[in-house]
Amino acid sequence: MRTPAPDEVEAALEPVRTELLRAAHAETVALLTRADREAAELLDGARAEARTILEEARREGEAQGAAAARDVRARARRAARAHELTARREAYEELRRRVTERVRELRNAPHYASVLGRLTGHTRRLLGPDAEVIVHPEGGLVARVPGRRVDCTLDALAARALDRAGAEAETLWAP
Amino acid sequence: MSDDCRSASSIWGDVEYTAIRELRGPLAVVEGVTGVGWDEFVRITLESGEQRHGLVLEVDRGLAVVQVLEDTTGMDPRGIRVAFTGGPLRIPVGPGWLGRVCNGRGDPIDGGPPVFGHTSVAVGGSPINPLRREPPSEPVLTGVGAVDALTTLVRGQKLPVFSTAGLPHLELAAQIAAQSTAGGESFSVVFAGMGLTHPDASFVRDALEERSAAGELVLLLNTADDPVIERILTPRLALTIAEELAFTSGRHVLVVMSDMTSYAEALREVSAARGEIPARRAYPGYLYSDLASLYERCGRLRGRPGSVTVLPVLTMPAGDITHPVPDLTGYITEGQIVLSRETHALGVYPPVDALSSLSRLMRKGAGPGRTRADHLDIAAQLLAALARARQVRELADLVGEAALSPTDRRHLVFEEAFLRRFVDQRRDQSRPLDQTLETAWQVLLTLPRSQLSMLPAALLDAHGAREDPGAEEEDSGENSERSMEYGERSMEYDERGAVE
Repeated sequence: MRTPAPDEVEAALEPVRTELLRAAHAETVALLTRADREAAELLDGARAEARTILEEARREGEAQGAAAARDVRARARRAARAHELTARREAYEELRRRVTERVRELRNAPHYASVLGRLTGHTRRLLGPDAEVIVHPEGGLVARVPGRRVDCTLDALAARALDRAGAEAETLWAP
Repeated sequence: MSDDCRSASSIWGDVEYTAIRELRGPLAVVEGVTGVGWDEFVRITLESGEQRHGLVLEVDRGLAVVQVLEDTTGMDPRGIRVAFTGGPLRIPVGPGWLGRVCNGRGDPIDGGPPVFGHTSVAVGGSPINPLRREPPSEPVLTGVGAVDALTTLVRGQKLPVFSTAGLPHLELAAQIAAQSTAGGESFSVVFAGMGLTHPDASFVRDALEERSAAGELVLLLNTADDPVIERILTPRLALTIAEELAFTSGRHVLVVMSDMTSYAEALREVSAARGEIPARRAYPGYLYSDLASLYERCGRLRGRPGSVTVLPVLTMPAGDITHPVPDLTGYITEGQIVLSRETHALGVYPPVDALSSLSRLMRKGAGPGRTRADHLDIAAQLLAALARARQVRELADLVGEAALSPTDRRHLVFEEAFLRRFVDQRRDQSRPLDQTLETAWQVLLTLPRSQLSMLPAALLDAHGAREDPGAEEEDSGENSERSMEYGERSMEYDERGAVE
């Protein structure tokens, strides 16, 4: 066996070298392509994810904004409604106050004595002839027997009449 | 209430009784009375001028036992005047109630004047002649998908919600009250809250604000610290108001009553104070007839417009469905919506247990000409598939998911989709029925076509049902969870890369 000349070795190894180089190139290209593709896909994915996050954030922001606006509207509506109801109640209380005052003025009317007479008759019908009848300083009277009592003061009469009027009071604020 | 006794009392003044023998807890014993009847409404005036109210519980010769609604605390027996109104409690009725917020006794708590009405009606109500009843029909759409699709509420029906403490039943009741409609017809809601805590009461007020402002809501709030006897009046008041709004004004009225267990407990308390013989769990023996006297006030009347639909909410103590309140309620009502702790734990709202829930009148309110032609088929198929999924789940617990057949595994996928995509919805979201049924279709199409035997072939074709729905999902890559979709895709690429 002889040692081959260097140029022979060169020639013999040439195909191997070429093949190795080609394989290396091919592998590099494949790797690069794959890397590029993976990078592109990662980027695509990241972009999609970013878009989703943005969309989600926008949706959430819109929902929060809408909820906040709804809260503000609800508060405003509630305040307006509370004002309206308070005004109605005040009007109704004023009506009661004025009616009570006008009924109290009956004390100074010329036929007040006959009113008292009729009230006394009414209370005696309810409580019997022995009922103790006391004229009330604010007008009207109170009749009593032990354990029972009839309130015919002018204030009580006014209050009962107002309660009966009921829905008519709504004309105070009806359009 | 200033005008309860308007029709009964004379303007000239009636006899007031001043001889009080005894004040004990919520009871006042009045002596020397004549002509007083059982259940008569009583006006009590204190020395200070303060007025309280009561009901006659018992009359024996000259003695009357009066139950004071506001309790007898702070009352001096020597300065009290008791007037009997000659009849049971009456309230003014009419549209004046709409948009108002009152306590459980009907007194305004919204700062407004008393509620007025042109007529007054006894709150006890009168039983409806059975021959005048019209069977319930047409739906009330609640905007809650699981309820509308699977347990449709029908106008004139009584459908309770069975829940347990800690579940969002009040949220569901408020949501239904806030968004229910009757297909464009005039609709109102009467919400009777009983035994609510203050945060709950304020939650209900907030949730129903919009409806109240629109003049479509009557809100009666009896809070947990309000007198217990008042709680017994609250649902009766609500029904009396609703009956007038429905049968005189022609509205479809939904009465939501929450929590009926709290009502039954009030009934028990009063019964104990009366010294009655207790029955099951110390509830009075007449609990059934008392509950029926409330629930049976719903319905429709022949020749009259409008309807009264009742949605009572009750909590089952310790989740016990055999507890007297849910048990007796179940005998009277036409189905039930059951909320489940397990579903709640999964973070699904509303946590409706579809397999335990049922609307017995659903067929009268849903289907062709009422909701949608395919509604009843979809509901039946959903429930059938869900029942199979439940069996599969039990099997999987024993043998493991890996040992299941592909069809069985699709049922597990279906169950998950059912809960996450169909049942789950936002607390402020009103889902139109069409959208609900379309979502139901999407969920059903996660199953192989051969498993959808309750749906007509034409509908299956129209919706593109396939034998291999799983493959379809992978092909299209359409998934509601985008991040998951990306994760899955990148995994595929990794695998392909490895092959190369």
